[in-house]
Amino acid sequence: MADFALLHRPALADAKSGSFGAPSTGARITLTALPEGHVMHVLASRGSGDLTALIPRIGDGASHAVRPYGPGQWFVIGDAPLAAAEIFAKTPLLEGKASISDQGHGRVRIGISGASVEAVLAKGTAVDLALSNFPVGHSAMTLIGHISALISRTGPESFELLVLRGFAESLWDELIQMSLEFGVDARTGK
Amino acid sequence: MASLIACPHCGPRPKEEFTVRGDAGITRPAPDAGEDAWYAYVYLRDNPRGRHKEHWHHTSGCRRWLVVERDTMTHAIYTVTDASAEGETA
Ligand SMILES: [Zn+2]
Repeated sequence: MADFALLHRPALADAKSGSFGAPSTGARITLTALPEGHVMHVLASRGSGDLTALIPRIGDGASHAVRPYGPGQWFVIGDAPLAAAEIFAKTPLLEGKASISDQGHGRVRIGISGASVEAVLAKGTAVDLALSNFPVGHSAMTLIGHISALISRTGPESFELLVLRGFAESLWDELIQMSLEFGVDARTGK
Repeated sequence: MASLIACPHCGPRPKEEFTVRGDAGITRPAPDAGEDAWYAYVYLRDNPRGRHKEHWHHTSGCRRWLVVERDTMTHAIYTVTDASAEGETA
């Protein structure tokens, strides 16, 4: 038995929260610490072909549950926490063509939105985020500054960032800095 | 050094997202090829001026191995392909 009880604490529980930067403009940024539900990393088996239609089977059916970011690689994400047994039970749905690894402990989501959201994120990544090139539902793995993150567009002026848990607070602080000129409301849920 | 690499999966990305492995033209010797062949494979590299094919890993993107053909003098990029597409993984 463990000598002490392990406590699950959200990665951004103690992160900066409140309003920062320029007083209100029409282009304010909102940062939101999103629920640490489930994060499944899905990798295709060699030579398994196009699995685009198969992967949504293991998702919760919500829009943007499935986030492709490279050949045969997806993150499947949702707000509800899933036990290891529940994730294991999804494996047969993939018919042996892909495998699932639970990343719920390892990666967390940050929501970022506002009229100037593209301008803020462009300070950190070289990916072209224009709506015409990066439509709603599109995802890209990239660097934001020196921190690796999966960027997904969830609306015309809203994105979600999936980041390694240990880097989440650092990225959170950087996003606040990057948003100061527009004004930013950071919401950790506290 | 070339600064924008057009990843066939991710589109143009800055070189900071990649890790360079080196010459894509060398082939792994047979296990019993002998010490000289293995020494050359592990340690000896040409340092060409001009067109050169290298393995680049898109570490901070799609995590695929790519073959980047570039000019070591002008920094021009000629082609970028997935390494498995060419069957050039060593
Ligand atoms: Zn790539």
